[in-house]
Amino acid sequence: MKLIIIDYGSGNLKSVENAFKNSILENNLNFSVEVTSELKSIKNSDLLVLPGVGSFPDCKEGLQKIQGLIDVLFDEVIIKNKLFLGICVGMQLMAEYSLEKVNTDGFGWFKGNIEKINNNGTDYLGRNYKIPHMGWNNLEISEERHPILKNITEKEQFYFVHSYYFKIKEKNRVYANTNYNHKIPAVIAKDNYVGVQFHPEKSSFSGQKLISNWLMWKP
Amino acid sequence: MLSTRVIACLDVHDGRTVKGINFVDLQDAGDPAEQAKLYSKVGADEICFLDISATNEKRKAMLDVISKTAESCFVPLTVGGGVNDISDFRNLLNCGADKVSVNSSAVYNPDLIKQASDKFGNQCVVLAIDAIDNKNMLSGYEVTTHGGKNKTDIDVLSWAQKGVENGAGEILLTSMSADGTKKGYNLELTKLVSDNVSVPVIASGGAGNPQDMVDVVLHAGASAVLAASIFHFGIFSIPSVKKEMEKNGIQIRDCEK
Repeated sequence: MKLIIIDYGSGNLKSVENAFKNSILENNLNFSVEVTSELKSIKNSDLLVLPGVGSFPDCKEGLQKIQGLIDVLFDEVIIKNKLFLGICVGMQLMAEYSLEKVNTDGFGWFKGNIEKINNNGTDYLGRNYKIPHMGWNNLEISEERHPILKNITEKEQFYFVHSYYFKIKEKNRVYANTNYNHKIPAVIAKDNYVGVQFHPEKSSFSGQKLISNWLMWKP
Repeated sequence: MLSTRVIACLDVHDGRTVKGINFVDLQDAGDPAEQAKLYSKVGADEICFLDISATNEKRKAMLDVISKTAESCFVPLTVGGGVNDISDFRNLLNCGADKVSVNSSAVYNPDLIKQASDKFGNQCVVLAIDAIDNKNMLSGYEVTTHGGKNKTDIDVLSWAQKGVENGAGEILLTSMSADGTKKGYNLELTKLVSDNVSVPVIASGGAGNPQDMVDVVLHAGASAVLAASIFHFGIFSIPSVKKEMEKNGIQIRDCEK
């Protein structure tokens, strides 16, 4: 199986590559991993990972700079049903639009938009809510458990770092929320595509578990 | 609920850890990658490497250290020390660093934070501030560079706020007068900055025992606590610190769950 991590100039690709390679090795999977923006490779792949750090408009611009990439993504994921994982801004890009900095269109694969986290008020220790929401947080896992959350408990934590969140309209597509002043969708999924707001590549054992689940998922 | 982070910091010189306990299960105690892996295994929420090499030549060793660490250490990795320009940022991130901290260079090149956050996002730009007491400053604290050696005549609070305005996503705040004393963090300084900036503040300098970490969270609003020597010399372990924090009602990440 061929896994592609899509390189469109966004941030921590090395971390993502390392984490997926480690998971593949530990599970004895016969997967190759390539970090690339070559459309030909993307078309020949079996699984696609779209990482994303930084701002929504910057990530969108990075994607647009690669001629034809957004159309190819649509073909491969929506038409050909390839396994797809969007991480952080990679998840947010599946929204209809984002209000970060300027109004920017997303892929529109999920209904809803990206909005700033509400930081009014104080937390349980009386500290002001800080933006970004940065650090390790729990998941509230929905009753209908998605396969990528197999063997993951609500006591485990994942590493988040973001200032905006997906105000999703399709509530039945949310398989886990996290809580930071308010509910924030953490795992969303539909058919063959999944988005996670946290960084599984930086989430230690729990992140490795989730990556393994995704790699072995057969929708 | 969001956990308060416990961050282990390692001083690295010419690609080797400077201080470091002889962990029995470490083959090479001077290898930062081995130490980082062990720290993440016992529950460090983040690892911070501080490169204290004197020359650019020797700093290249740091890139190998980061590459090696990032291959097997799946918690966030912050790297600082000798970061002078945007190409240093790119090199560190390409090797697998997740965040880069800037200190002296932000003072001498005020555009660096803005450039870096525009290019790589504010989540990976950490403004490190080494503060000393100075009654003549508005906030009572002055920014220093080069490990506290050089004074800048810059007020700590206004510097922190300016850094955030320019795109720093986090502040690593070290009290130079508390650093190394093991008498506790500077609560007043930490509270002052934490109450007046919108981004998370990491308390650093002075941790002597787990209670110090509890205090700086409960009484100074720190989002994260950083320590170096108490972990390296095995005085206190990361699990013991987390246990004490949990006992005091602070949410932590229990990596055994």
